[in-house]
Amino acid sequence: MTINDFSPKRYYKLVLPTVGLLALIKLTAWVCGAGFDKLGKGLLQGISFVKIMFPPDWSAFPEMLEPALQSIAIAFIATVLGTLLAVVFAIAAASNLTNPIIRNITRFLIGLERSLPEIIILLILIAGYGLGVFSGIVALSLGCVGMLGKLLGDIIEEIDHTMIESLEAVGANKLQVIWFGVIPQIVPNLVSLALFRFEINIRLSIILGAVGAGGIGYELDTSFGLLQFHRGLTAVLVILVMVVGAEQLSHFIRNKIKLKGALK
Amino acid sequence: MNEQLILPSAKYKHKVGYLGISLFVVVAVCIYLKYNPFLIFADFTPIQRLLGEMLPPNFSVLWQPTIGKAIAQTGSAAFLATFYGCLIAFVLAFLTAANTMPLRFIRLLVGGFLSLLRIVPPLVCILIFIIAVGLGAFSGMLALIVITVGMFGRLFTDIIENTEHSAADAIYSVGASRLQVIRYAILPQIIPSFIANCLYAFDVNIRVAISLGIFGGGGIGYALYMAMQVLHYQDAFALICLIIIMILLIEKTSDYFRTMILGKEKLR
Amino acid sequence: MLEVSNLTKVLPNGRKVLDGISFKVKKGEFVGILGPSGAGKSLTMRCLNGLLKPDSGSVVLTDDQGFSSDICQIKKRELRKVRQKIGVIFQGYHLVKRASVLENVMIGRLGQISTFRSLFYGFTDKEAEEAVKALEQVKMDHLSGTTTSGLSGGEMQRVAIARAIFQSPALLLADEPISNLDPSNAKVIMKLIRPLSENIPVVGVFHQPEMTAKYCTRVIAIKDGKIIYDGDPKLTNDQLVEIYGEELHQLEQHEQPVLAIQ
Repeated sequence: MTINDFSPKRYYKLVLPTVGLLALIKLTAWVCGAGFDKLGKGLLQGISFVKIMFPPDWSAFPEMLEPALQSIAIAFIATVLGTLLAVVFAIAAASNLTNPIIRNITRFLIGLERSLPEIIILLILIAGYGLGVFSGIVALSLGCVGMLGKLLGDIIEEIDHTMIESLEAVGANKLQVIWFGVIPQIVPNLVSLALFRFEINIRLSIILGAVGAGGIGYELDTSFGLLQFHRGLTAVLVILVMVVGAEQLSHFIRNKIKLKGALK
Repeated sequence: MNEQLILPSAKYKHKVGYLGISLFVVVAVCIYLKYNPFLIFADFTPIQRLLGEMLPPNFSVLWQPTIGKAIAQTGSAAFLATFYGCLIAFVLAFLTAANTMPLRFIRLLVGGFLSLLRIVPPLVCILIFIIAVGLGAFSGMLALIVITVGMFGRLFTDIIENTEHSAADAIYSVGASRLQVIRYAILPQIIPSFIANCLYAFDVNIRVAISLGIFGGGGIGYALYMAMQVLHYQDAFALICLIIIMILLIEKTSDYFRTMILGKEKLR
Repeated sequence: MLEVSNLTKVLPNGRKVLDGISFKVKKGEFVGILGPSGAGKSLTMRCLNGLLKPDSGSVVLTDDQGFSSDICQIKKRELRKVRQKIGVIFQGYHLVKRASVLENVMIGRLGQISTFRSLFYGFTDKEAEEAVKALEQVKMDHLSGTTTSGLSGGEMQRVAIARAIFQSPALLLADEPISNLDPSNAKVIMKLIRPLSENIPVVGVFHQPEMTAKYCTRVIAIKDGKIIYDGDPKLTNDQLVEIYGEELHQLEQHEQPVLAIQ
């Protein structure tokens, strides 16, 4: 096929998708109310706004420490409790440990959780339990269960079935098989995934905070809402430090595990 | 006996020690946050009450034109952000990858820019864009573009850097220029995983679009938030069902095409 | 003592995979089961430790302490009790990766300690010392603290044997224990298994007639679900052809010409 070949096949393969894509972009841009002229004007406005935000209001810095700590605590506790719960769900979702009915029910629940963004879970919980830390932690823990439950379940399913059979051959019962055969093999992956989830939870705790789960996200949202932009910038900087810190910590520990050769 | 051997009793003491310390930390943090993890198992009344208010879901709300428009907006924002975000990430990735960009200075500059985009919290993004272009789907879309570029820029860079060097060397050896090498040695290798990742990006973006909608990014997220705020729980429940179905459908379709492109074993 | 009588198993498609298998194994015997692939060797082994239920027949295990049980008739809870008495060595070693060698050996007694203790405390120091002794017996005690993932095949199989020794079973089963090993490692493993048969009956499935001739005290050959030979481990060439079919003989005869054509 040469460059000058305008056969129908080439037409269908190349021209139609391109035209379709352009039309789709045009349509979706119209639905969103997007446009490059609007973007140009908006960007100028945005840049001048960012200029207004400077310099950060350092006097508000001490007030930020407590909410920041609270956000970290929320993410931490949600990760710990969520991971513990996720292990239970992962075991129930692994085909080599449980019977098909329980497995499918668990997989369905995990899938249901995964299809709901954490913030919507938070909205539902807030409607039930009211604003506050409790709803935030539960929402983050559930997110943790959804993500780790699926990944860990898949990891457990990769464990050799005959290995489990050999433990049963010495007369071990189900709990003993899980405790001595399964847990030692998934611990490195479990720690690594939990750390990864901790990074995500730190980010999410900020967003959830803005809706009313407490912490630094709430400070940020109210500062912007009250047009205290210098104070808002301080919150932004604190958040950046938190996010980068969590990321570096998680990288550091994960590299340590990797050096020991534990991760697949 | 040898010195490598750790007796079970010593191991047990170790375990108990670690467990005790972790338990202490967890309990301390729980007390600090005044959080009782058993409350959700012990006290079902709030959920019961909520379910009572939510059931039966009021599905008639879904036929309102505003909801149709909200869905279209969320979908459009996710689609446009995926398209432009992946395009920008794609171009920037070539500027950061060591095997396509010879100038170290530009590599560091663009790489730093990508890292900055990655760590900026989505909440800050949307708040700034709302002030820049006003409330609505457009600001949500712009925030999504930033998030997409941040998330996938680094990934694309890794993909480019992990391509087979032998193919590039072969084409260099016939006297081709750097751009020709990119076109004939690197592009063919990365196109499948690029497309697969774009599909994955769309999958992620639809969720983020719904979340950002709550903060004024418009779309179905905002509609849900409003229904919750005015305590129309039956409408809210219908919307939640709609969101679940929407996300599941998109996830399955995206998974299907990605498996088609990459083969089952490479699916992330 | 192990008494197998009249084991029969019919697959859903009507194929008789086990057809009246009967034999007795006494203390002091090391029985090697030979036979072509698909003859029913592995199925017999699976019946012996209760992983598979035959359609009819019985497998009665009796030990010195007066314990006696028919493995084919008992329920799941009792099956666990019987399994504590049966040590199994597998072809694929089946060790728990990421756990240490010592822990893998101690796993052999999981069925004998209470669930509560195994979850909260684990094993005692005394058990650990016994496990080290079992490891000394297979000359692996110098590696007791390392994880199993870095071991070679021969070393892993030796750990598996130590696990079976530590279990102090009333019967030892070996399911193709040397199939994945090189000849010298295979010899080492056979030399380790042999002395165990002094106290308990040992039954193993093998694919190497020369190994069973050297180390086993008795050989049973199974073909098409039936026992076709039971007796002296030293088989003649004709007997081997009878077990493995004409192909065995032909292969040897035509070996040279085939190579010459290539």
